Amino acid sequence: MTGAYFWRRVGYALLTLFVIMTLNFVIFRVMPGDPVSLILSPDFTPEVRQLLRERYGLDKPLWTQYLLYLKSMITFDFGRSFTTRQPVLGELLARLPNTLMLLGTSFVINVVVGVVLGIAMATRQGSRLETGVTGVSLFLNAMPSFFIGLLLLLTFGYFWPIFPIRGTMSVPPPTGFWPTVIDRIYHLVLPVTAVSLSGYGSWYLYTRNNVVGALGQDYVLTARAKGLTKREVLYRHAFRSVLPPIVTLIFLSLPGLITGAVITESIFSLYGIGRYLIDATLQQDYPVVQASFFVIALAVLICNLLADLVYGLVDPRIRLR
Amino acid sequence: MSHSLSSTPRETPAAGPAPIARKNNGRRPGTLREVWQEYRRSPRGMLGLGIFLVFLFLGLAAPWLTPYDPLQDQFLADGMARPAWMSYFPAYRMDPVTVDRFLLEEWDIRTADNMVVEWGERDGQRVMEVRTTGPGPARLVLEHAFEYRSNPPDTFILQVPYAFTGEGGATGQAVIRFETADGRAYDLWTSRSLRNQVRWTTQRVDSRDMQLKMRLGFRPLANLAAELINTQGEYRVVLELTANAGEGGEALFTLGESRFRIPGKLHGVLGADHLGADLWAQFLYGTRTSLLIGFVVAVIAVVVGTVVGIVSGYLGRWVDEVLMRVVDVLISIPFLPILIVFVAVLGKSLWNLIILIALFSWMSVARLVRSQTLTLRERTFVEAARAAGATPGYIMRAHILPNVLGLVFASLVLLVPGAIVSEATLSFLGFGDPRVPTWGRMLQNAKSFGAFGELAWWWILPPGLALTILAMAFVFIGNTLDDILNRRNQER
Repeated sequence: MTGAYFWRRVGYALLTLFVIMTLNFVIFRVMPGDPVSLILSPDFTPEVRQLLRERYGLDKPLWTQYLLYLKSMITFDFGRSFTTRQPVLGELLARLPNTLMLLGTSFVINVVVGVVLGIAMATRQGSRLETGVTGVSLFLNAMPSFFIGLLLLLTFGYFWPIFPIRGTMSVPPPTGFWPTVIDRIYHLVLPVTAVSLSGYGSWYLYTRNNVVGALGQDYVLTARAKGLTKREVLYRHAFRSVLPPIVTLIFLSLPGLITGAVITESIFSLYGIGRYLIDATLQQDYPVVQASFFVIALAVLICNLLADLVYGLVDPRIRLR
Repeated sequence: MSHSLSSTPRETPAAGPAPIARKNNGRRPGTLREVWQEYRRSPRGMLGLGIFLVFLFLGLAAPWLTPYDPLQDQFLADGMARPAWMSYFPAYRMDPVTVDRFLLEEWDIRTADNMVVEWGERDGQRVMEVRTTGPGPARLVLEHAFEYRSNPPDTFILQVPYAFTGEGGATGQAVIRFETADGRAYDLWTSRSLRNQVRWTTQRVDSRDMQLKMRLGFRPLANLAAELINTQGEYRVVLELTANAGEGGEALFTLGESRFRIPGKLHGVLGADHLGADLWAQFLYGTRTSLLIGFVVAVIAVVVGTVVGIVSGYLGRWVDEVLMRVVDVLISIPFLPILIVFVAVLGKSLWNLIILIALFSWMSVARLVRSQTLTLRERTFVEAARAAGATPGYIMRAHILPNVLGLVFASLVLLVPGAIVSEATLSFLGFGDPRVPTWGRMLQNAKSFGAFGELAWWWILPPGLALTILAMAFVFIGNTLDDILNRRNQER
């Protein structure tokens, strides 16, 4: 990986961030009505209104407001929620661990299950087992992630009520370290399963197709002819060659994964950022909408950048762009 | 929405010797037929096409497959009524089935003393005109009998629209009576003595009416419907009209379309929602909305993507750089969150949803078309055209476009499921158009109004499975087309 590639990627990421922040500003300015009238009841006197305008910088020209906005986004100064009057940043930070836990766990499960299953089935191509696994994966892949969540909820939350149907922990929360951990995990089982079931399919199909493709290549034949075992050929030659495209899948799967997490949090009433965004949007709590969207977009952006950079490391052919 | 790789057409590598420049916009005669010949041989493709056609039929024929409006017609059945066919299972065999009778044409005349019954018309609706010109008292008894063979119901509702005209001092009276299978009779409503002109009114009898219950001698919280209808057998709704036209007077009753309903716990093909609206109707009209959204979004996205892809790929240089940066930026904005934010600000209307989903879906097409254009640009027939002095606009239109059309068509089909699922997801989260019935909205209602607690699978499963199956069908069709087109491209 060359330095030019690195800086170019970082530059694009910053450009995207800038566009997202601008969009986030423009959307809420296009909106009909004055921001002050959104926060305050109409009974306030004009003097008070004027005071508030000055306090929030709304008396300044639009581009000054824009610069102020950019500054506050970059410094994570998201203001206060309309509904709770609490600082948005604190609420976001309190919710972040839950979202990361959900995303991280599902991501690891997706990759491990998808790739392992993909390699295993690539060598059994055409068998009855492979047909079945591929069929199920295609079906789950086509199923909307919120419906997978609903099915799990219906089956294991209501029909056999063995898992909690909502929340991040029991009320009241258990005491002690291990009981808390176990309680958290217990509440995460259904949401994580939901996100994983809707996400592993693309990993599986992608790995399988690429390994199948690689197994048909001449160099694999050469490796076999050299007398290497099937295992060695599979892992040291075929799989290694499909590693770069699999790394790109990180980049491709993230928006979908985050989408799935946003929905899943809402279905299982998890105390996370995705649900924060949805609830705030439904309640027209604009500072929260703006902030949580910004945080989600920022996370996607960083992951994409990392995926790009890692891809550059994994595939030495990438030098051009 | 799920950024699955199976739903992006593969990029074809620059392949084979360059074809000779052709007339007829590059389409060889019989190409479509050849593609179809090949398509027919793919079981996966035919399965997808078959499923699509079934849904297309359901969506188009919705008004003929259900008499109900999906949202307006409420209280057709009890809240969360099960599908009617569940009566084949022993546990639900005795559940009340909806009785919904339109009585105007179904009235039987039990007695007609001194009364003339004729058909007339009022505001384009058929009405029954019951007339007497005296002398002396006249009486008409209309009855409608129905069999009831289930457990006692929770409610019954009767509506009788009528008007009365009395000339020359004529008077009249109307009584609605209910006769049970075990021989009891209850006067559910007795009109006051009618004289002169009584304007068109609709008399409503509802078994939940407390005053009615008390008047009939039941406790205010009693279930009147179950008190009256508690054995199997034949029940009768009776309408008795009496009049006295005196000497030379005339009394005229006009009866409109009366309706008698027992909202059942079993209803229709898919049961009813929490408000007693027909779920089958919601499902059918939801199919319509889904297909509409899927295709409109895909067409918009494909048009934008193709134009951007061709222009970017053919013109290259700074145009390419700028357009591809726009694509990069848009593609890395998280899809669902930005849609949520936009819809929240711009308003929940169907066309907002369609345009916003399309706005964030065209990028993959642009990339695909661009890479195809890059290889086409180097082909000899394009070079020949350029040498002959053709303008870039002409070359893009006449040489590049026809050659990417196949690819574009495959991506059109592959964009549909994503659009359908995106709309369903937004509707499910509460950002759908409240005036439009959709599958996502059905699921949202199911989640919000207790279908899960009731294990109302007949409400939850159909829309979700339909979404899945329809999305899969489009992936099947798109992948089959994509395979065929790739193969043909390589053979060329």
